[in-house]
Order: sequence, then structure tokens, then C-alpha cells
Amino acid sequence: MTHPFLSIRNLRKAFGAIVAVHDVTLDIPRGEFLTFLGPSGSGKSTTLYAIAGFQDPSSGDVLLEEKSLLAVPSHKRNIGMVFQRYTLFPHLTVAENVAFPLRVRRRSDAEVKKKVADMLALVRLESFAGRLPGALSGGQQQRVALARALAYDPPILLMDEPLSALDKKLREEIQGEIRRIHRETGVTILYVTHDQEEALHLSDRIALFKDGRIEQTGTGEDLYLRPATDFVAGFIGNSNFLAAEHLDTINGTATIRMTDGSVISGVRPNGTFGKGQKTRLMIRPEAFSMERSPASAELNVEIVDIAFYGERRRIVARIAAGQEVDIRPTSAAMQSQGVSPCSRQVFFDPATAFLFPA
Amino acid sequence: MLLDYDRMGGLRVALLGFTALVAGFLLLPVVFIVLLSFGSSRWLAFPPPGWTLKWYQELFADPAWLDAALTSARIATMTAILAVAIGLLASFALVRGRFAGREILRGLLLTPMVLPIVVFAIAIYAFFLRLGLGGTTIGFVIAHTVLALPFAIIPIATALEGFDKSIEDAAIVCGASPLEARLRITLPSIRIGIFSAAIFSFLASWDEVVVAIFMASPSLQTLPVKIWGSLRSDLSPVIAAASSLLVGLTLALMLVTALLQRKFRT
Ligand SMILES: Nc1ncnc2c1ncn2[C@@H]1O[C@H](COP(=O)(O)OP(=O)(O)O)[C@@H](O)[C@H]1O
Ligand SMILES: [Mg+2]
Repeated sequence: MTHPFLSIRNLRKAFGAIVAVHDVTLDIPRGEFLTFLGPSGSGKSTTLYAIAGFQDPSSGDVLLEEKSLLAVPSHKRNIGMVFQRYTLFPHLTVAENVAFPLRVRRRSDAEVKKKVADMLALVRLESFAGRLPGALSGGQQQRVALARALAYDPPILLMDEPLSALDKKLREEIQGEIRRIHRETGVTILYVTHDQEEALHLSDRIALFKDGRIEQTGTGEDLYLRPATDFVAGFIGNSNFLAAEHLDTINGTATIRMTDGSVISGVRPNGTFGKGQKTRLMIRPEAFSMERSPASAELNVEIVDIAFYGERRRIVARIAAGQEVDIRPTSAAMQSQGVSPCSRQVFFDPATAFLFPA
Repeated sequence: MLLDYDRMGGLRVALLGFTALVAGFLLLPVVFIVLLSFGSSRWLAFPPPGWTLKWYQELFADPAWLDAALTSARIATMTAILAVAIGLLASFALVRGRFAGREILRGLLLTPMVLPIVVFAIAIYAFFLRLGLGGTTIGFVIAHTVLALPFAIIPIATALEGFDKSIEDAAIVCGASPLEARLRITLPSIRIGIFSAAIFSFLASWDEVVVAIFMASPSLQTLPVKIWGSLRSDLSPVIAAASSLLVGLTLALMLVTALLQRKFRT
């Protein structure tokens, strides 16, 4: 078996009584774009800083090509990093900023000059070479920071919420740039964000953090279609959680009773449940359809409101117990026919619905 | 706020007048001295019967005055260098350090600003006599450095607090050793604080008279000490000329600092 490129083993970091990272283990292949996603305070930055060498872990190890990085000081790790805050050197021009890591490595003038030009071309800021950071917009500053972090061809690039200070439109634009740069350079990227859309858009794989642990690691599709826990289901995409009683599970599919007494079979249990155990059924808003199909299960709802969102419609409905259900049907037929407020049935494929403990 | 300037109405005029009065009261003697230094009366009569530069000629012709001015400049320069060097290290400890007794250290380093100067002067005089440092340049510089330290630490620590440490971290990930990152990135970024510290410590020594009187010897006199000494023997307009020069350099340095600070802010 080939060894992983970068490996985080049982990483733990405590600040006094506060445990920022409990136990993180992760293997990252060369060239991967992996995102640490999770709510604020879940230990993403602390893990990243342990890789960069700014935090000494309380225990555990970080291995690059099977060699531990822990004894290597930050400045000798040869890792690239883009920070959440703007960190360009304020007294140096854009070109001098990008040249800095090459100058400290005592590269020749000719090489520095060429590399700086290449890097500024990579982030498309050639014409800004002579400017001071103060004369750049936030988005431009982060692109220069990216150029500076890549100038010495580091094997790993760490990015800690680099776009969080930018507005949505600019953020999407630079996300595109980051994807392109990842494609063109093949650098391994560890990216931190709390924004699930950003994570889904950028990453090959996502490690979802919760309370200093990784809840699930997988592609965006894995996390969306096969969430390991209700936390993952709730964090990635939109989801409805409806109370249900577990009746029994046969051959990996479960039968449940909803609060209005209707029985649904064929849902996917996440864990093992006893008879009569209280559970929660997770259904994605997009999983609903307004028409019955052979395999579908049904849910009795009262339509409360219908809003038009351009590409799709969003229906707010209510089940008998009073809980609201978010429905975003994808069916084209429904778009043309329209739905009027009334009591009716909506349909979903039980194989896309997951059962979680209550 | 209770005392909001914009909402004081008629009181505003009164406040403005009072401030002008106080400022005038403080500045007037200085203005008089400068005027008298150009006046032709030997007896410092005011208004002067005529205008002349002869007191300045006399001043520059007297090697004792020149010697005192050079001594002052030399001691003030050494004080500034020493105070900035120590101030830099102290600021890093006070701003970045997380150690027990940090607040006590901060208080201690800033004490000379509030300690009655004459108490400090007597204490250090007695102490330096024992060490044989009384009347020496090195003793002078050490005493003045202690006095100048608060004026060096305050601007440097303020600049360092305003400097985002992430920028230094970025330099370290880029491959610079922590020392190199501080020298090549942090210091240039807080250079305005360092520069202000240098000027303020220079001035703290340049116009200091109380400690200087205790530290001085007949062969080692700073300008303020020489002025003080001459004042007691004879009241000549040359003293006014020397004082004017002292004030002039102080003003010039303050002006340079103010201009630089404004330039850096934009
Ligand atoms: N230097 C520190 N000292 C004390 N607690 C810290 C420190 N850094 C982080 N923490 C705590 O560790 C937890 C995880 O922080 P962090 O890794 O920054 O989370 P994230 O990046 O996911 O938002 C938080 O509860 C935070 O308050
Ligand atoms: Mg963070």
C-alpha cells in the first residue's frame, strides 16, 4: 500500500481546560483539495495551525511523506499559507511581497524576477506589481497573498477562511480563481471555511468538523447523499427532520410510523433502532415531488405558502403535528401546473430519506 | 458624555477663551525670551530699544557654550539610541509576552514619568557617587535613559499593538526565521513608533535640567545646566539666545515628528 502524502494522526490540542481539537485523524493524498468545514469554534483553524507549526499539539502527530513535521520549526516546513486576515507586508510593494519568500531563500535575482512575474500572472495582477498593499482592494490583497504563498512551490498550501472578509460576488469570483490555480499548479490544498456552499464548490473532499472532532470525511456528494450523522445532514444542504416511531428494520430498510399514523417503509436507518424507538426522519427539500411514482412514499401536508425563486419554487407546508416542512420540488411538470394552498399529499423516494436517533 | 463639546452652547466660547488664556500664559515667557535674545538692551529691557544678532555672535564665540551644546547633543543622542533599543525589547515583552508580573514590569518601566524628578535625581546621584559614575558621560546617559524610557516605550508599544501579528506569522511561514521576520517585517512596519520614540527620548534628555544639575561636573555640562549656572552669575542676553536655540531645536523636532505621523497615517 502506498503511504499517504500528508497524514494527521490522533491530533489533540488543549488550551488549559479548553480542548480545541479532541482527536483528529486524516490522510490526504498528494494534489487533493481538502476542506475543513464546520461551525465556528469547531477546531478547524487549530488543526491547520498545528500543520503550519504555530501550535504545538498536546498529542498526536503530523506526517509529511511519512516524516513527522512536529520537530520542524514553522519557517523550515516549506508550507504555503493564506490567512483569514490581510497579511501582506505593508511597507513592501506587491512584487516585493511575492519576492520575500524567495529572498529569504537566497534565490538569484534572475530567478526571483522570473518567479514573481509568473506568480503575478497566475493571480492576474501583473499590472499591480509596483503598488503598496494599502492601495489594493481586499480581494486583490488575498490574491497577492496567494501568489506569495505559492512563489516557493510549497508541497502544501493552507488557507484559513481567506475569503471570509469579502462580499459574496467577489468571493465567488476568487473561488473560481482558486480552483483554476489548484488545477494549474497541482498543489495539495487544505482549506478552512464555515461556508458549506464554498466547501461544496471548491473541494475534492470535505472533512466536517464538530467540537474538535471530524464528524465525516468524504466528497460533497457523499456528505449530501449519505450523511453519517444528523449533524452532517443538518450542516450540508437543507434538510427536514420529522418525528417518527421506528417499527422494525429488515434487510437494511426500516419501516416507521409518522405522527399522523401513516406508515412508511423503505427508509434508510442510520444506526440500529429498537421497536417503538423514537426517531427523526430526514428528508431533503429537493427530494419531494408533487406527483406519485411507483416507488414513492407519501406525506400528508397542508400547503401554507408558495414562493417563486426563479429556477425553482419553494413550498412551505405543515404536517398534522404542526411542524413546518420545506419543500423544493424539482419536477418540471409542477412548475407549469402550479400548486395552490390546500391539504394534499407530497411524495418522496424513501431510499433518499434517513432515519436518525431522536 | 457629560461634557460634550458640541452641546455646550455658550460655554464653548468661555472654554475656548480660558484655553487660550492658559496657553498664552504658558507660552508667553518663551516668546519673551526669544524676543529678548534679539533685543539690543544688555539689561533685558522690554520692549527692546533695538534689534541685534550680537548675543548669538557672543554665544557662538564662547567655546564653553558650544561645548555645552555639543555635550547635550551627544548625551541626548546616546540616550535616544539606548532608550529605543531597550524600549523595543521591553515593548515586545509588554505587548506580546504572557508572563506573571507583566503589569508590574509595565508600571515599573513607566514610573520615571510620574516620580518626582528631584527624588529620582537625589537617589541616582547618591547611587552613582558610590559607583564612581557621577560626573561621567556614561552616568549621564544611564540616568537620562531611565527618564526617557517611558517616552520610548509608549510610542513603540502602541505601534506594536496596532501591528497584526498574523503579518509576522505570514513572514515566518514564508521561510523567515522569527528573528528575521521581526527585523525585516515587524520593525519596518512599526517604524513610525520607533522614530517617535527616538525623538521623544532625545528631547527628554535634551531639555532635562534637574538630574543634569546633579550629574554635571565643571568639565561636563549640558546646555540646560550651563544656562542655569550662567543665570546665577550674570543675567546676560546670551542666556536668552542659548535658551532660544534650545527651544528652537525642540520645536523643530516636534514638528518633524508631527509631519511624519501625519504622512504615515494617510
Ligand atoms: N490560543 C487559544 N487559547 C485558548 N483557546 C483557544 C485558542 N485558540 C483557539 N481556542 C479555542 O479553541 C476552540 C477552537 O478554535 P478554532 O480552532 O479557532 O475554531 P475554528 O477555526 O473552527 O472556528 C475554540 O473554542 C477557541 O475558543
Ligand atoms: Mg477559524
